[in-house]
Amino acid sequence: MRETVRPGDMMAVCLSRLIRNGETVFHGVSSHLPMVAVLLARHTHAPEAVHLNIPGGVNPMEPALRAFTSAGEELYEPACAAFPLMDVFDLSMRGGLDVAFLSGVQFDREGRVNASVIGDYRRPKVRLPGGAGSAVLIPTAKRAVIWRTKHDRRTFAEKVDFVTAQGHVSDIVTPLCHFTMAEGKLIVGSVHPGHTLAEVAENTGFPVQYYEERETPPPTEEELAWLRRIDPRDLRSIEFE
Amino acid sequence: MNRICTLEQAVASLEDGALIGLGGNTLNRAPMAAVREIIRQGRRGLRLVKTAGGMDIDLLCREGCVSSVDAGFISYESEFGLAQFYRRAVQRGEVIAHEHACYTVISALRAASCGVPFMPVRGLQISDLRKVNDYFAEVQDPFTGERLAAVRAIAPEVSFLHVQEADAAGNGRIRGPVYEDALLARASRRVILTAERIVGDAFFAGEAEKPQIPGFLVSHVVHCPRGAAPGCCPGEYGIDAEAIRRERGESL
Repeated sequence: MRETVRPGDMMAVCLSRLIRNGETVFHGVSSHLPMVAVLLARHTHAPEAVHLNIPGGVNPMEPALRAFTSAGEELYEPACAAFPLMDVFDLSMRGGLDVAFLSGVQFDREGRVNASVIGDYRRPKVRLPGGAGSAVLIPTAKRAVIWRTKHDRRTFAEKVDFVTAQGHVSDIVTPLCHFTMAEGKLIVGSVHPGHTLAEVAENTGFPVQYYEERETPPPTEEELAWLRRIDPRDLRSIEFE
Repeated sequence: MNRICTLEQAVASLEDGALIGLGGNTLNRAPMAAVREIIRQGRRGLRLVKTAGGMDIDLLCREGCVSSVDAGFISYESEFGLAQFYRRAVQRGEVIAHEHACYTVISALRAASCGVPFMPVRGLQISDLRKVNDYFAEVQDPFTGERLAAVRAIAPEVSFLHVQEADAAGNGRIRGPVYEDALLARASRRVILTAERIVGDAFFAGEAEKPQIPGFLVSHVVHCPRGAAPGCCPGEYGIDAEAIRRERGESL
């Protein structure tokens, strides 16, 4: 039997492969997985991708990542230029941001995202942290790529409690699979090694469709070596703890 | 003009119910010493503004100082989890959460900064946030007829900013990420500055990198070493994880 792929490694690699060479790419706070994915992409298949972030450090070189933030000085001090958050949003508004990495707690089949509340907006059962940039980035970035480390029927639901954002969701990466948007609906693009379509269907609250059964190619030796170098403290797995 | 005073004097100028901006981002260079003094003086009904807040907003909610929060994101980041005091205060109806996109906080501050009543914003039209909040509306471009979302200006009565260096006149220089601090200074009626170090009056005149916060926008300057602790302050200190866990009420 083959060695199991660690979910943090698989998700980081899967997110990384969605970045194309030369694209402008942004991630925000609480975003260790996409932060590692962007750094990985720039070391492998997308050296000309442009890494944008909240502190405003463009293309930070070998940042020493920290567990308590993905929006701190570590991305700014080793950067090659300054382009602060306001500039990143403005770039998206004028159509110049290619990829925005975002998350949330509920998603429906049409790619609507809830990061605001469970229950009523004014008197919520659960007040969530909020969508951060989602409400303007998901509709204005060319592609919004979502990651979520939980994959169950409450997360992938028939209906979301509140639509914090919608628009250009192109992909959602979970510990089980990679969803991709096709004709306005999420379909399963590939299932990660060690998991099955039946398992995805069982844990998804909307009907699971796919064009063909496909396994996500496991991380390569090169990708794993870079992950260990970029993220020696394994912060890509922090949301699984 | 010498604007140096004690933290107690600076915070005493703040009235209950004030609309206040907070500098920094999550645990990065947040004005924590000022937050503790606001709590000590027992201010009530404060209306807070920040793009992405964490411990500062959580502690003010824990102590019952807050009536509303305008922000895009309120949480600690990955390592420390959710802002539980903020969350419970909103769920109990004690604090009103005015959720923004981080950009709509920036746009609202920009509107205030340039003295116009609102700022048009793209994308937000198709969010439920636009529908349920009265600080968002729809406007029409008078030239092309295009319909856009708009966000009402936010002009804080005072913003609390923590910087590494300031002089007695209130010129303040930030090392590392500036976040929305410079914008907050321009959108607010005045700034209360806390600083790791007070430099001499002519210090910045000889420096190539000038302060982002000019003293004429500042009402009070306070010497506050470790003023962002237990959060971090670039070039000065990292986080104090144990103190953060203690404040959150976690068993150590």
